[in-house]
Amino acid sequence: MTISRRTLLGSTTAALAMPAIARHGLAAEPIRIGWLATFTGPLSAPTIGFDRGVQYATALINGAGGVNGRMIEIVSRDTQGDPTKAVNATQDVISRQKVHAIFGPANSGELLATTPIMAKAKMPSLVPGVVNSLIDPVKFPNAFRVTPSNQQWDGAVRRYCKDILKAKKIAITADATGYGTSAHDDSMASFKADGFDIVYDGVIDPAQPDVTPDLLRARNAGAEVLVSWTVSSGMAARMMNARGALNWDVPIAGHPALGTGEIGKLVNKPEYWEKVYQVGYRNCSYGPDGKLPKANADFVAAVKGKFPLSDTSLWWVCSGVDAINLIAEAVAKTGSSDSDKIIGHWNTLTMWPGLYGHYTFTPTQHNGFLDSDVVMSKANSQKDGAFDLAPGYA
Amino acid sequence: MRGLLPYAVILAAVLVLPFVANDYWAVIGARAAVYWVLVAGLNLVVGYGGQLAIGWVALLTLGSYTAAILVARFDLSPFLAYGAGGVVGALAGVVVGLPALRLRTFYFAMTTLGFATIVTQVALSWQSVTGGGIGLPGPSLEAPFDSPWGFYLLTMGFAAVVTWMTANVASSRWGRSLVAIRDAEVAAEATGISKARLLTIVFLFAGFTAGVAGGLFGTLQSYITPDAFTFDLSVTFFIAILIGGRGSILGPLLGNVLLTLLPEFAAPLVAWSTFLYATLLLAIVLLMPGGIAAVLDFRNRKPLESHRSIVPRPDRVAALVDHGPVRDDIILRNVVLAFGGVRAIDGLDITIKAGAVHGLIGPNGSGKTTTLNVISGYYEPQEGEAFLGTRVLPHGKPQARSAMGIARTFQTPRVIGEASVLQNVMIGATIDGRASFMESALTLPRHRSDEKRLTARAMDALAVVGLESLAPVRADRLQHSELRFVEIARALCGRPAFLLLDEPAAGLSTDEITRLGSLIKAVAAAGTGVLLVEHHADLIFDICDQVTVLNLGKELAAGTPAEIRSHKEVVSAYLGA
Amino acid sequence: MLAAILAAGLAVGAVYALIGVTYNIMFSASRVMSFTSGQMGMLGGVLGTLCISRLGLPIIPGFVLAMAGCAAIGVVTEVIAVRPVLKALDQHLYVLSTLGFALMIQTFTAIEFSTEPQPFPRLIGIGEGGPWDEKFWLPVVACFATIGGLELLYRRTLVGRAFLAIAEDNFAARALGLPERNLRMASFALAGAVGGLAGFAGGELLMAFFANGAMLNFFGFVPVALGGLGNNKGAVIGGLALGVFQQAANFLMGGVVASVAVFAVFIVVLLVAPQGLFGAPAARRV
Repeated sequence: MTISRRTLLGSTTAALAMPAIARHGLAAEPIRIGWLATFTGPLSAPTIGFDRGVQYATALINGAGGVNGRMIEIVSRDTQGDPTKAVNATQDVISRQKVHAIFGPANSGELLATTPIMAKAKMPSLVPGVVNSLIDPVKFPNAFRVTPSNQQWDGAVRRYCKDILKAKKIAITADATGYGTSAHDDSMASFKADGFDIVYDGVIDPAQPDVTPDLLRARNAGAEVLVSWTVSSGMAARMMNARGALNWDVPIAGHPALGTGEIGKLVNKPEYWEKVYQVGYRNCSYGPDGKLPKANADFVAAVKGKFPLSDTSLWWVCSGVDAINLIAEAVAKTGSSDSDKIIGHWNTLTMWPGLYGHYTFTPTQHNGFLDSDVVMSKANSQKDGAFDLAPGYA
Repeated sequence: MRGLLPYAVILAAVLVLPFVANDYWAVIGARAAVYWVLVAGLNLVVGYGGQLAIGWVALLTLGSYTAAILVARFDLSPFLAYGAGGVVGALAGVVVGLPALRLRTFYFAMTTLGFATIVTQVALSWQSVTGGGIGLPGPSLEAPFDSPWGFYLLTMGFAAVVTWMTANVASSRWGRSLVAIRDAEVAAEATGISKARLLTIVFLFAGFTAGVAGGLFGTLQSYITPDAFTFDLSVTFFIAILIGGRGSILGPLLGNVLLTLLPEFAAPLVAWSTFLYATLLLAIVLLMPGGIAAVLDFRNRKPLESHRSIVPRPDRVAALVDHGPVRDDIILRNVVLAFGGVRAIDGLDITIKAGAVHGLIGPNGSGKTTTLNVISGYYEPQEGEAFLGTRVLPHGKPQARSAMGIARTFQTPRVIGEASVLQNVMIGATIDGRASFMESALTLPRHRSDEKRLTARAMDALAVVGLESLAPVRADRLQHSELRFVEIARALCGRPAFLLLDEPAAGLSTDEITRLGSLIKAVAAAGTGVLLVEHHADLIFDICDQVTVLNLGKELAAGTPAEIRSHKEVVSAYLGA
Repeated sequence: MLAAILAAGLAVGAVYALIGVTYNIMFSASRVMSFTSGQMGMLGGVLGTLCISRLGLPIIPGFVLAMAGCAAIGVVTEVIAVRPVLKALDQHLYVLSTLGFALMIQTFTAIEFSTEPQPFPRLIGIGEGGPWDEKFWLPVVACFATIGGLELLYRRTLVGRAFLAIAEDNFAARALGLPERNLRMASFALAGAVGGLAGFAGGELLMAFFANGAMLNFFGFVPVALGGLGNNKGAVIGGLALGVFQQAANFLMGGVVASVAVFAVFIVVLLVAPQGLFGAPAARRV
């Protein structure tokens, strides 16, 4: 029931909007949304997906008359994944473009720098980043996480290792980037605390041409699962190739990048991509019956032909849609685009059914993503941007 | 004073901006200012000193992390932390920079690049201190500097101070020395400039400003992670200087502003921004090596008088070179110098008397210039010794000669084309400067009296050689013969006890040679001994008190011009032709 | 384990060595060290992928076309980034012009090709990822074939001797009537092809990735610094040693410490022996 509410939002806002247009006319001040993302550069893959969702949701709402007669206007800036450009862009959308809310930026280094700036401006902001320290309702009462946190990713992998793979001895690998080193440390701590035996861990230079020695050490140490925290598709593929060459059938589990289409091109044999499980999302996964949850299936059907899904991830698109809808709904419900109204509305959300997952926020809890929405999926099963649930899920 | 006009305009713009613009421009302005604090220091290294440090972002990183760590983990006050960042930057600046003393340009560029990579890697992996990939918050300031415009004005204050200091340095003997080691390193050594000492000081200074900029950068960014310190940023700093023009403060300042603003105005170009910078770099190097500064250099576009003649004033030499009773001779004893198997000097004994003109002639390859290079310290003979009176002239230490009162000119004039004639001549008196680097940077009294004294003396030297009307002109606009006299003025400006001239008459007209002759005679009469290596026999016989004829690295004959003229072997082997 | 480290180390070492040779060839012809050397290696991989995987050419024509492309970029380097600054060699403007051109190549590739590493086609199909996989020995074979070929070229052919004459003494060679400019362009074409070969042969190992250019630029320069500028044998020894050292350090100490170690060795060797371990002393300045 609740899920269908999401798909109906377009028409609900349209219904709400009709009298509004009558009252204010079309000249009502638009709702400006700052959309900061890595449109170009090496980290641009997620943005392609996010942006399709953002544009789609915006077009849908505006096409139906806007929110209370107010059109949504997306003010986007390319930050190229560079924290210095992100700071400039953030101040730009806040001070010069006078936006009402911000979605983005998407990379942790950027978010760490822009979050305090947005907080200072009391700017309602939706944070698509996993770094734990980004969310702090006391320091940053304006910032709401709309993705899982690193802990939740880690937890999904850990639960899968424990409950389904029944593994005890774990090898943890990460790339030598900002994200990789921090994920490595967090993961080490949480696996240890959960009683796992970490038999090998390595921070690997993503440019290292061959990771066979690292895998050999992990194998000799008796690892039963290889946990991988890298955003580098090159490194992930090298790991799969080395595993294949060694004829080692250890499962690999970890970062969603394990399932990007790039890897399919980089593995030497298709079967090297088997037994690789990536963090995924229940809403964007095909269940054992081969079907997506209804709302998402409807969404996929609705966008069919409008833009491709196969070259991106469905959840990125869904996250973009959710972000716009979260903002639009807050304005629709409170009748205002003031920052305290939007923030206040978000603080009341309980199990808000987005396409990407369920969000619950309270004034003291801004990590909104539901734990059980984070699942593991089969890395090589991508179809329309969505993946099969990993074996073992009901 | 006209030179100050552009700065006044910029300052006015800086002060007006807060009244007409929103917070966004405060951030952009602060960013330009913070980058300038670094670029201004780096400008002394790259633009003035010609040391191609392309990885200078390493020092920004170090300063930034130092300040952030001290504030976040030790609760130090932000301003002290900025200072500490500067100190760490200064020390690291020396570490990054000093390989420049031993390495060739490209090698040096590569090591700075490597250093930048390493610093980022360490910041990434030393998690307990730097926060690793998650980084740590930059120093945050209290009112009134916690607002965008407060911080803007603070950074502009830093930028103004750094601009003032680097401009002072640039117009001091330190700046002139830097340009000298960039464009005329060999001549710089002959005037006593110690490259090692000079570069150490400048790397300390540039490292300091980079470190301070790092601390401010942390505050500007509010949070620092290793991925904020990209190689692109380093290249931007570097390109800002080259777009601005080497040897200018205003040019790189504008270049820095341009590169900070460009991506903001041309948002669709963001993806191509690095490509654009790279293209700019290439275009500047190929089409406009002088950069913005050359475009703005209106003064040097005025045509020079075309039929200029050089009229030295020998009568003014005595007032310039005033020695008192210094009366040491240069003595070479049994000097042997071989290049590979060829003995360029083969057991030479020679005495060059103080206050006299000593000619050195001989066929090509007879060892004339080699002898001069031994005396001036460039070559290290395998055997034998050189003395000034009773003091040993250490072999292979050209930069020690100037302090001993020995100055020289070169076969091909080695002047700094991009500096003015006056600046070139002032180089000759560099070691007579008293003010330390910091005194110069802050224009303390000693610096001002230095400048006054050295300028006056250089003008005197130019008057002696008859070129004072060209004092403000860029040296590369002069004719060849004028450059020869500029070199002599530079040498005289150091008030040498000995002047070594390497073929000073080459390329001069007959008239000019005559005037050169009387100038040399006047120099000797004022008490400065002259060693004259020359092919023009007439000049030698006209003005020399003593002549030595070399052949195959050995003395063929020695004596007065009259004796030499009648020396049988000399006549047959050399003069007969 | 040792076999895996040696195989990977020698393989990347051979790629570094070939980039070192690229530096050397350019230097011999023009006294210029070029930042484009590493970019040639990157282009070898990228053009290989473009020709074979995207255009669907068979391996041999694809290889030839990729090499021709790299040689052409080599010539372009000479024409736009080297020749105009040759007359002021002592001002070291070449450092800036080649840096500019190298960055242009790199960003252009990133934007127009891909910012993600792309697969390089399997060339022969020997080895199953083990130490004897072709991806490990192809670069080594390419490296030694190149050294042998260059030796033949320099010793046995007229053009090769003319190259040597230019490298020995530019002015004298010109005075002898050698077409110095054409020989220089030919040298840059050769350098481009050698750099391209490095990237092509190492393609399966390093993949087609724009960021390889900057990486190879640095690590390809280390063998030059170690082996002495202009000394190809020194570059090969230095390159292979660097490769093995780097992979061993990667394995024993982990990514970050390993890069610090490589850099430290590089600096220490340079400061102790600025001419390299096998280099000749500097020329006279006065």
